[in-house]
Amino acid sequence: MSTHYAVSKRLHRSTALQIGAVLVFWGLGTALAVASGVPLPGGILGLALLLALLLSRRLSALSLRRGTSWFLAEMLLFFVPAVLAVLGHREFFGLIGLKILAVILVSTISVMVSTALAVEGCSRWMSRHA
Amino acid sequence: MPDLSLATLDPMALTGANVLLWSVLTIGSYAIAKQIYRRWTHWWLMPLAVAPVLVAAAVLALHVSYRDYMRWTHWLVLLLGPATVAFAVPIYEQRVLIRRHWPVLLVGMIAGSLTAIVTSWGLASLLGLDEALRLSLVPRSISTPFAMEVSGDIGGVPDLTAVFVVITGITGAALGDMILARLPFASALARGALFGMGAHGAGTARAHQIGSAEGAIAGLVMVLVGILNVLMAPVVAMILA
Repeated sequence: MSTHYAVSKRLHRSTALQIGAVLVFWGLGTALAVASGVPLPGGILGLALLLALLLSRRLSALSLRRGTSWFLAEMLLFFVPAVLAVLGHREFFGLIGLKILAVILVSTISVMVSTALAVEGCSRWMSRHA
Repeated sequence: MPDLSLATLDPMALTGANVLLWSVLTIGSYAIAKQIYRRWTHWWLMPLAVAPVLVAAAVLALHVSYRDYMRWTHWLVLLLGPATVAFAVPIYEQRVLIRRHWPVLLVGMIAGSLTAIVTSWGLASLLGLDEALRLSLVPRSISTPFAMEVSGDIGGVPDLTAVFVVITGITGAALGDMILARLPFASALARGALFGMGAHGAGTARAHQIGSAEGAIAGLVMVLVGILNVLMAPVVAMILA
């Protein structure tokens, strides 16, 4: 019991250990995806696994909060290399690029308006029929 | 005297050196971009925009092929996997909100996802963009780790989707403000869902500035819609094929 306490206390304090723990969950999720043949990414299965442990109170959210916050806060760094793919598409710096921009702008506005209308309409309907 | 020119270096060692150099350069550019934004908070100076521009400048200036660069720093992109796992904690912490509002949020996420698929696909076809571009544009509203996953599943190019996700993030916060100025939605639920569904992390950051309820809802919608889209991807792939 005392060693368990010591381990969890160290885990509560150390961001590096928590980052390691998140990596372990990712590894477990990936192994699970391969072993079970479920067509889902390892990250999603790792997320489900971690969420199940949190909800069943086998794991306290405090013991991973720093590590998970680090991943979420620095997520932008992880896709910077992928964005450089744009250098392989010189045609984007012309008419095609403008067309893509138009699609993104109009589609994003449509997505935002339809989402907010659906949420507002649905919550009004539910409060009227509650 | 030993020959120390690069040409005679062991190719493995050369790759190792490049991995180190370009990883440090990428992390450094990201750190600088964050500092710039801390000093000058303009939407067009978002780290989302500035970090890739700094790295691209280095790649072009040093005459390195972007393909080599992407190979050397691919381990950073792989970290989007554990970043997906990390979403478990905010979901757990918002469980009360989920229990109370899940039907409404689910309706909003389905409406938003269907609109994203139909308008991206339809507009891109209308403007004559090719199929790889059309498919890569579809998942651009959702958070990067999920968006790249969905893009690969439905036959898009994940790297192109990453570019489109970035453009959506940079413009999304401003578009959301513009919409709210014309259509003032009454509930925090609708305002939050608008930003989380339309512009992932960048939208969520903007929603947090509007209010804490809006921010919490936006963050929740961003995470849940990512998972929902990954689960829906095989069906969407069948319909679009």
